Amino acid sequence: MPTTLNRDEKVTWKSATTAGQALLEELAYWGKDDYLERLAAYPEPVREEVLRLAAAIWPVSYALGYNFLDQVDKGLSCLAPEQLAEWVKATLDVYEREGLQAATRYLAEVEDNFLCRLRGEHGLSLTAATSRLLPYLRGLAGGELALAPAPVSWTDGETIFLPPEISLFKQSVANFTVYKLLATFQWGLLKLGTLTGDLAMFPGLAKELINRYGRQPAGEEPFPADFCSLFPAPRQAADLLMLLESQRVLRYLQQQLPGLMRDSLPVCRRLQSRRPAPASLRGPSRVLEAWSRWVLTGEGEAGEGLGPEEKKLYRQGLLLLAAAGEPGEDAAAPVQGGGAGQQEGGVGQSLELTAGLYQLLAELSGDYERIEPLLGILRPAAVQAVRLRRREERRQRFVEALGAFLPPEAATSATTDEEAGPVTGGAPPPPDSEGLAMLIGRSGEGDEEREPPAAEGAPEYLVIGGREFKLPEEIQALAREIQNDLGRVPPRYLSAAVGQAGGSAIRGPGPAAGSDGEESLVGPLVYDEWDYRRQGFRKDWCKLLPKELAPVQSTFVSSTLARYRGSLHQLKRQFEMMRLQQRHLRRQRDGDEIDFDAVVESLADAQAGVSPTEKLFIRLDRDERNIAAVFLVDMSSSTEGWVSLSLKEALALMCEALEVLGDRYAIYGFSGMRRQRSEFYHVKHLDEPYSDLVRGRLAAINPREYTRMGPPIRHVTKLLTAVDARVRLLITLSDGKPEDYDDYKGDYAIEDTRHALIEARAAGVHPFAITIDRQAQDYIPHLYGAVSYCFIDDVRKLPLRLPGIYRTLTT
Amino acid sequence: MPVQQERIEEHRITAEPYYLPRGEELEIARMVYAHRLPLLLKGPTGCGKTRFMEYLAWELERPLVTVSCHDDLTTGDLVGRYLIRGGEAVWMDGPLSLAVRAGAICYLDEIVEARKDTTVVIHPLADDRRELPVEKLGELLTAPPEFMLAVSYNPGYQSVLKDLKQSTRQRFVALEFDYPAAEFETEIVAREAGLDEGTARNLVKVATMTRGLKDSGLQEGASTRLLIHAGKLIKGGIAPRTACRVAVCAPLSDEPEMLAALEEIVSSVF
Ligand SMILES: Nc1ncnc2c1ncn2[C@@H]1O[C@H](COP(=O)(O)OP(=O)(O)OP(=O)(O)O)[C@@H](O)[C@H]1O
Ligand SMILES: [Mg+2]
Repeated sequence: MPTTLNRDEKVTWKSATTAGQALLEELAYWGKDDYLERLAAYPEPVREEVLRLAAAIWPVSYALGYNFLDQVDKGLSCLAPEQLAEWVKATLDVYEREGLQAATRYLAEVEDNFLCRLRGEHGLSLTAATSRLLPYLRGLAGGELALAPAPVSWTDGETIFLPPEISLFKQSVANFTVYKLLATFQWGLLKLGTLTGDLAMFPGLAKELINRYGRQPAGEEPFPADFCSLFPAPRQAADLLMLLESQRVLRYLQQQLPGLMRDSLPVCRRLQSRRPAPASLRGPSRVLEAWSRWVLTGEGEAGEGLGPEEKKLYRQGLLLLAAAGEPGEDAAAPVQGGGAGQQEGGVGQSLELTAGLYQLLAELSGDYERIEPLLGILRPAAVQAVRLRRREERRQRFVEALGAFLPPEAATSATTDEEAGPVTGGAPPPPDSEGLAMLIGRSGEGDEEREPPAAEGAPEYLVIGGREFKLPEEIQALAREIQNDLGRVPPRYLSAAVGQAGGSAIRGPGPAAGSDGEESLVGPLVYDEWDYRRQGFRKDWCKLLPKELAPVQSTFVSSTLARYRGSLHQLKRQFEMMRLQQRHLRRQRDGDEIDFDAVVESLADAQAGVSPTEKLFIRLDRDERNIAAVFLVDMSSSTEGWVSLSLKEALALMCEALEVLGDRYAIYGFSGMRRQRSEFYHVKHLDEPYSDLVRGRLAAINPREYTRMGPPIRHVTKLLTAVDARVRLLITLSDGKPEDYDDYKGDYAIEDTRHALIEARAAGVHPFAITIDRQAQDYIPHLYGAVSYCFIDDVRKLPLRLPGIYRTLTT
Repeated sequence: MPVQQERIEEHRITAEPYYLPRGEELEIARMVYAHRLPLLLKGPTGCGKTRFMEYLAWELERPLVTVSCHDDLTTGDLVGRYLIRGGEAVWMDGPLSLAVRAGAICYLDEIVEARKDTTVVIHPLADDRRELPVEKLGELLTAPPEFMLAVSYNPGYQSVLKDLKQSTRQRFVALEFDYPAAEFETEIVAREAGLDEGTARNLVKVATMTRGLKDSGLQEGASTRLLIHAGKLIKGGIAPRTACRVAVCAPLSDEPEMLAALEEIVSSVF
């Protein structure tokens, strides 16, 4: 029965504050009787607090204010009245950040959102998840991918961006599953080629859309943005495409990673419950939202909350959605197998389906308002930027390397032609190729030996003016990469390289450039440097300057030992064991124990008439190890901060362990600037005792200048070969790439370092390289491929890893 | 010598071992055998080296004498020694002389584990002399044409103390083994563990992912052998995640973070 009470009768009580009173009157004015009744039921102090807070929300948002009053009962069921203020503050923060919808949700889920925070149950941060998530992701991708925070998940092809914190669930295990799903989903987009398609591959569809909507492709836009702009509402098309691609990826994950998808079911449900109800949206957005929900959980076939017309469209759309990624999907393809995106059921099919869904929605009136992203977003421009950057880097490296490799006369004998025809593939050069530069798969000589062209047509030779050059492995590898990217090595790359032929000394990026001049250096400690482009040494190229580190008075070593007290004990025990494990030399002429095997044997020999041996003892041979180890430490400026500190800590622990073990060891640091000044810092010589002086120098290790790795490696090699030891070990500790102020950079620096390590090995030294970096870089396997190496992505692990590495190396 | 006759017969492989070739390794090995060259098998642990030798021996109808090398292995352990039996000294051939006399295949597993002074006894046997001096008997055994010497080692071990000497390695034809390609490995795991193909494929998927972790600090990825172990547990009714945890993850690493990542890999597949 409707009551038409007048204003004065409704409020029989008043608020103590003016703001509260004003609010009460407002509620009464708008006939919000139920609110007034509920308020009246609270004890006075609680009522005042609620009114005060509601009045604070009011000016921000009426809607939120009403929501607050709606949820206050629920809030009071688990919060003390004095916690209400905190709750409202947190809610307003959410409102500021994410808007009304999120804030409303936040209020409604007081238990999950606010209370658990009060209890100290936070969400899971990306930082905390990374140590577990990143190796998982790398195992999945079989290569390098990095993680970084961003509000919404997306990827540029190198890095996967994920929310900085996930608090969808109360338990961090469950939140980890959310991260795992989001990251795997992004990997799926990369894997299935969502971002690496090419509109030119689907000319029929493009033409049809141009005819239908009369919009021309802009030409500049990366895929799939170029496709979307063929539609009158590109954003709607983009969201539809992402929806279809999500469906395709989820289907793929369902096949390939069923365990993950099973674990993710609650995640998908929770994500779905967080989405706005379709009924709250209008026009095409409403149907699109309903589809999104279906993609997420496969539930809601009926299309609840939609009108009859919408329902019909919705059901038709489901048929299209269900087809995404349908045929040609090879269930047998292993996870690491490639190219699923290029096959049928690939991104091309999603493009077709996008056009279909778009047409369905065209029947609805109203503008499209973007719906909330499902599991992440696409950022084609960022992907494109990374791709172009890599492409340009490859082009530069290729032109430089090839230019330096070719003799100067190549430049004159060749005319390159943009229309040089096919430049790759296994076919022999056509007879009229005189004067053109082209790459071919195999030498034209020895026809009967020639194998059929490799499927990839991997270029191995360059033909110019009828001459054939066999390309060095590095250049071949680059050419293959370029081919994978562009389908061929563009003729202009070749002409640019030929134009620079023989130019390494003059135009190349090598250390010859600049003020250095070409002159050799003189002095006792002058070393050659390897120039990979000419596959030869620059004679007497670098000058090494031995330096003393001034020891500092510091508690560094003792505080490090204190810090690692727990592990140090175990470490020492392990090394003690190694010492004790030292070889029991059997069958010795004298020793501490009798070798019973030998005795029995000699008795048997005597019996058989063979003169029995006198070697009947076992001796503990402490000198058996006879290892000399040199630690070579990067002191370049890039180690500033954590890296330098961890390096020093690692060395301090290493010294403790080695003192127990008794192996001979030395420590040197290196840094410097330019080839004239490669500085080599003494911390501890091989036979020097581990004294306070050494400890002082260890503490004095600090970041200085650049990282020219060749000279110190060559120097240590020389030192070690002069030492009498059974095993000579060179352990380098560095971060990132070798690099100097001059042009000792990039491939040149990598190749010289690599060569120096190979030289060391040839000289009977065992090199072992430890690299500390945030992520393993592509060049590392190549740089150290020829020697043993290990890569540490979390520098904090180094101090304990180093002794472990030493132990595996020498047992 | 009847005792020895009996002993060598124990090494004969009567039933055809299951071996799935991945490439030309069998053709090459046959050729190597025909030319009486010694064979070196390189490869990570549990990738099928031993199984390959068993198959080869079966096919060539030669007994296979396998010696697992360790650092206490002496020359006597390989070549033989006198024993006292009933107050009398009796010569007992070691596995190597046994194999040489019988024209068998002698397979020295993990040769790098043996001490260098032990390794040198195989030198005259591994070049064109094909002889084994048995000093205590004053005999010089010449290997019959049927004899073959094969050794294996795992180059993945990083200890500098365990490197094969050039003078040793340069006597062999080397076959490089790696984990089989995914389809092959699936077939092997399915067959060896008696699993359905789908589960076997999932196990291989897990292995492939762990093998991608080498740069992230895992020393070696999961071997075919581990997959077969896990497969057998699954076949026996253990839940796949548990089976993988105990048979794949835990054997691979002790590091808590690495273990966690490995388990994430497992739980994404199973
Ligand atoms: N090609 C193959 N055909 C059949 N079975 C295989 C094959 N490769 C591996 N296996 C299976 O893998 C298991 C492990 O292989 P195997 O014992 O031969 O390894 P290994 O290389 O000798 O290892 P280790 O170096 O540790 O001794 C075998 O028991 C076998 O079941
Ligand atoms: Mg074996």
